[in-house]
Amino acid sequence: MAFIQTKDLKFTYDDVEDGEAGKVHEVLKGVNLDIQKGEFVALLGHNGSGKSTIAKMFNAMLLPAGGKVYVEGMDTLDESLVYEIRRRVGLVLQNPDNQLVASIVEEDVAFGPENLGIAPEEIRRRVDDALKAVEMYDYRLNAPYKLSGGQKQRIAIAGIIAMQPECIVLDEPTAMLDPRGREEVLRTIHKLNREKGITIVLITHYMDEAVQAGRVVVMDDGQILLQGTPKEVFSHVELLKQHKLDVPQATELIYRLRASGYPLPECVLNEEDCVAALERILKAPVGR
Amino acid sequence: MVRDVTLGQYFPAKSVIHRLDPRVKVILTFLFIVFVFVAQNFAALLLMIALEVCVMASSGVPVKQYFKSLKAVLFIVIFTGILNLFYGSGEPLVTLFGFMQITWNGIQNAIFIAIRIMSLILFSAVLTFTTTPTELTDALERIMKPLKVLHVRVHEIAMMMTIALRFVPTLLEETDKIMSAQKARGADLESGGLMQRIKALIPILIPLFVSSFRRAYDLAMAMECRCYHGGEGRTKMKQLHMAARDGWAVAISVAVCALVIVLNVLMPAIL
Repeated sequence: MAFIQTKDLKFTYDDVEDGEAGKVHEVLKGVNLDIQKGEFVALLGHNGSGKSTIAKMFNAMLLPAGGKVYVEGMDTLDESLVYEIRRRVGLVLQNPDNQLVASIVEEDVAFGPENLGIAPEEIRRRVDDALKAVEMYDYRLNAPYKLSGGQKQRIAIAGIIAMQPECIVLDEPTAMLDPRGREEVLRTIHKLNREKGITIVLITHYMDEAVQAGRVVVMDDGQILLQGTPKEVFSHVELLKQHKLDVPQATELIYRLRASGYPLPECVLNEEDCVAALERILKAPVGR
Repeated sequence: MVRDVTLGQYFPAKSVIHRLDPRVKVILTFLFIVFVFVAQNFAALLLMIALEVCVMASSGVPVKQYFKSLKAVLFIVIFTGILNLFYGSGEPLVTLFGFMQITWNGIQNAIFIAIRIMSLILFSAVLTFTTTPTELTDALERIMKPLKVLHVRVHEIAMMMTIALRFVPTLLEETDKIMSAQKARGADLESGGLMQRIKALIPILIPLFVSSFRRAYDLAMAMECRCYHGGEGRTKMKQLHMAARDGWAVAISVAVCALVIVLNVLMPAIL
C-alpha cells in the first residue's frame, strides 16, 4: 500500500470576502494521489491550485471536507492518531524565520524530539545527527537570526529530521531564498532522499526544481492535471501552457525550434541536454 | 541602527560563575538581594559588598561592564541619596532655606541607601552577565515547577519567554526595514515635537503588528507540525546537573548570610 494515499480528497472554505455567508469556495475537488515510500515527488501548480492545502492535509494540519487521507494506513480524521501522523510526516514551511522556536540552533532542532518525550541522551544524538545531515553541525551554538535564509531553512529541515520522520513535505521551501540558498536546500533534500530513504514531497512553482524530482504531479484548480516522470509531464508543453503553467526554459526553447521544423529530440529538460542537442544540429553538414 | 541592540547582557567567558547551575545562580541572586536589605548596619553591608566583589572578580567579566550597568541607575542612586539626606533625625549640621536640615544621621542614611541600591544592581548584573537568556528561562521554569500545584502555567510562561527572546532580534530587524521603507516614501521620523514624532510612529507600528500576527500564526503551525502539545510528557535535551561547585557556592552564601544576621544582632541598626 502507498505511504500516503488520498481518496477523492475534497476541501472547501467559506468565501467571506464577498460578504455573503454560505458561499463555498472549493479548493480541492476530489484528488486521488498515492505517494510511495522513498519517492521524490514534486507538486507543481500556480497560486490557488490547492497545492499548499494538500500539503497541510498530509500531516493532519487540515482535515478533509470530503474523502480521506491515509498515512501508512492511518486515517488523518482519527484524532487519537494525530501525533503519530505528524511524527511520520514533517512539514517545512515557506518562511524560515517563522518556524524556528528557540534562540540557539541546537535547541531549536531539539524542540520536536522534546515534544515526543524522548530521553535526553537520545535527543542529543538525534540533534547531532540531524545537524550533520544538513551540514549545519558547526553552527549548532549560533543564534538563528545570524544565519542566512538557506541556512535557516536547513535548520528547519534538521528540526524535522530529528523527529525521524519517514516523509518530509516542503511547502515552497525556497520561495524566499536567494539562488545560493535554494541550491543548498535542494541539495540537502536530494541527499536526504538518496541517503536516508526519506520520502520527499516538494511543493514548488519553480520548474527547474520539479525537473529533478522522480515524479511530477501538476495541480490545477483543485485537481490533478498531469502526473508522471518529468520527461512525460514536460512533453505536454501545449497543455501546460493552456493552464498558464511554465515549462523549463530549455524545454521551451527546444519545443519552439521543433515547432519551426528543426530536427530535435522530443523532450529536453535541462541546459546540458539542450546544449548538446543544439550542438548536434549546428555542427551537422548543411544540406543543399 | 536598531540592530545593534544586544540581546540581554550575556557576556561569554569560562569562569566558575558562568559554569554554576543557573538554578543556583537565580536562587542565590535572589537571596543576596534580600540580604542586602536584611543588613542593618555598615558592618553587615560591608560583608555583603565583600562577597559581591569576590563574585564579580571571579566572574571573568571586565569591571568596565559592571560600571556601565551602574551608570544606568546613577540617577536613581543620586535621587534617593539626596532625598534621604534631608530625612535624618538628630542635631542638624546644616540648614538650607530654613527648613531643609542635613543631619549626621541623614548623611549616614544617604550613603547606606546608595550603597544598597548599587549592590542590588551589581548582584543582578552578575546573574545576567554570566547566564544566557535560555539558561535563565530554563532555570526559572524549573524553579517555578512547584507552583503547578497552584495551577500556575509554568511551562507556558517559560515557552512564551523563550519565544519572545527568540523573536526580539527578528522584530528589530523588521522594524528597521519598515522604517527604511516608510522613509523611502517620504515619512518624516526625526523632526517635530513629541506628539508629532509619536504620530510618525504609527505607520511603523501598524505594519509591525500585522506582520507579528502573521508570524505568530506561522510559528503556531510550525510548532504543531513538530508535535507540540504543551508541557505534558515533554522532555528536555539539556539536563541541569548540580556539581560540587554548586554545593560550595550555596555553602559560602549561606555562611555569609548567617554572618550578616549575627552582625545585625551585635551592632546597632543605622536606619
